[in-house]
Amino acid sequence: MTTTRGIDFAHLSLKDALDLAVLVEEEAQERYDEFTHQMKTHDTPEAASFFAFMSRNEKKHGDELRARRLELFGDAPRSVERAMIFDIEAPDYDQARAFMSARQALTAALASETKAHAFFVAALPAIQDPKVKALFAELRDEEIEHQKLVQAELAKLPPSEDLGDAFADEPVAH
Amino acid sequence: MSNALPVVDKKFEPKDFKSDLKPIWCPGCGDFGVLQSLYRALAAIGRPAHEIAFVSGIGCSSRIPGYTTAYGFNTVHGRALPIAQGIKIANPSLLVLCAGGDGDGFSIGGGHVAHAVRRNIDLTYIVMDNQIYGLTKGQLSPTSPRGLKTVTSSLGSLEDPVNPLLYVLGYGASFVAQGTAADLPGLAAIIEEGIRFPGFAFINVQSPCVTYGEDEWQIKEQRARMKSLESLGHDPKDQLHAMDLARAYGKELYTGVFYRNPAPSPTYDQLVLERQKEKGASAPDPARVLDSLIQR
Ligand SMILES: Cc1ncc(C[n+]2csc(CCOP(=O)(O)OP(=O)(O)O)c2C)c(N)n1
Ligand code: SF4
Ligand SMILES: [Mg+2]
Repeated sequence: MTTTRGIDFAHLSLKDALDLAVLVEEEAQERYDEFTHQMKTHDTPEAASFFAFMSRNEKKHGDELRARRLELFGDAPRSVERAMIFDIEAPDYDQARAFMSARQALTAALASETKAHAFFVAALPAIQDPKVKALFAELRDEEIEHQKLVQAELAKLPPSEDLGDAFADEPVAH
Repeated sequence: MSNALPVVDKKFEPKDFKSDLKPIWCPGCGDFGVLQSLYRALAAIGRPAHEIAFVSGIGCSSRIPGYTTAYGFNTVHGRALPIAQGIKIANPSLLVLCAGGDGDGFSIGGGHVAHAVRRNIDLTYIVMDNQIYGLTKGQLSPTSPRGLKTVTSSLGSLEDPVNPLLYVLGYGASFVAQGTAADLPGLAAIIEEGIRFPGFAFINVQSPCVTYGEDEWQIKEQRARMKSLESLGHDPKDQLHAMDLARAYGKELYTGVFYRNPAPSPTYDQLVLERQKEKGASAPDPARVLDSLIQR
């Protein structure tokens, strides 16, 4: 469930907007790392390797944004922080399941990219600074690209092999 | 120039409270969200991890202290509260947190709750309520609803559940709240408020068990049914209204603070400290205490 706390979108500076975008990617990367570990611990290797792939993607996006921020603003203090964002691009914890199929893992990631897109769409009207507006529009459009990437991976999968929860074993951590 | 972002001028970030130990809860378990909210609450409180003692009982939920950088003690089933109280009295300057499951807190450990409440000892007790014994693979718990079919109630439970909110309100608790793993920002705010409360703070958290829990209490379903007490116009100073609302436990999912005593009684740890100061000067030599008890 995407939420923000204490962000004044109307007065967001470009530096704050870039920092926010980095934090969003960091949060998503961390969550995918957690999911990767959860899947490895619970004998779900296919989903684990897909979540690891998503983590690498989020890291790449984060690094690009971080480099831009440092180039433009150097080490000027940051005034936005992680506590201001909740699950913007990070998949919700309840999306993970032991023995989830690759299709379910990809569907969870797609839902997160859709959620992130909705976040930028919703924030845009309040933003006043034209440079921030342009950045948010760029990030919104990138989310569409990310969705396409996941959709392309989904298309490569064989038709649904999900048997539903009724056939699932109880999870056991290793 | 390093490739890291400059830090915010703030003492702590949630990650400062995250330990290297990785949770082994079932993927999808509500307890993951509780842990995230706790990291955020602790960052907002701003006490370093070494000033925090985190005590739990036994159960899936009771693993939580190990996933934080605080001093943790995963104790004995049902005995988290006595041990947490001992720690608080021995070292009152510590911030003491206590956590566990519905079974831990309201079955085997149920008798201890009343005494922590009546002492108004300054600690925060978080019950991760999933209406089931998760760790032992899905037996009835004290908060399981009547009719629930489990491995120990194959024909359906014949008992009404304990109502944790009314239970502690009935004993006179000064801070009683409920949160859910379906609303992490809301839960973080409630935990923070509980920690700041000067006295015993009880927080019931609806934290669903994806493996043995009921379908209608999973995150998605909770998100659809949760209602904040604030949106209902509830005044947390109104103890009677709090009790009235708490009666809906198991039917409605109210979140927020049910009751916050505007004038709580002094905390037990404070009173003990005062008594020690008062009597300290005339106290017998500790080495001679045994002598005074033994008749030779
Ligand atoms: C003295 C004692 N009795 C029984 C047990 C077995 N036992 C371990 S955890 C547990 C109940 C767990 O349920 P809960 O407290 O609700 O925690 P959850 O696993 O659901 O988070 C029981 C009965 C034990 N460890 N010690
Ligand atoms: S058994 Fe239930 S409570 Fe325990 S870790 Fe799994 S989902 Fe969570
Ligand atoms: Mg339980």
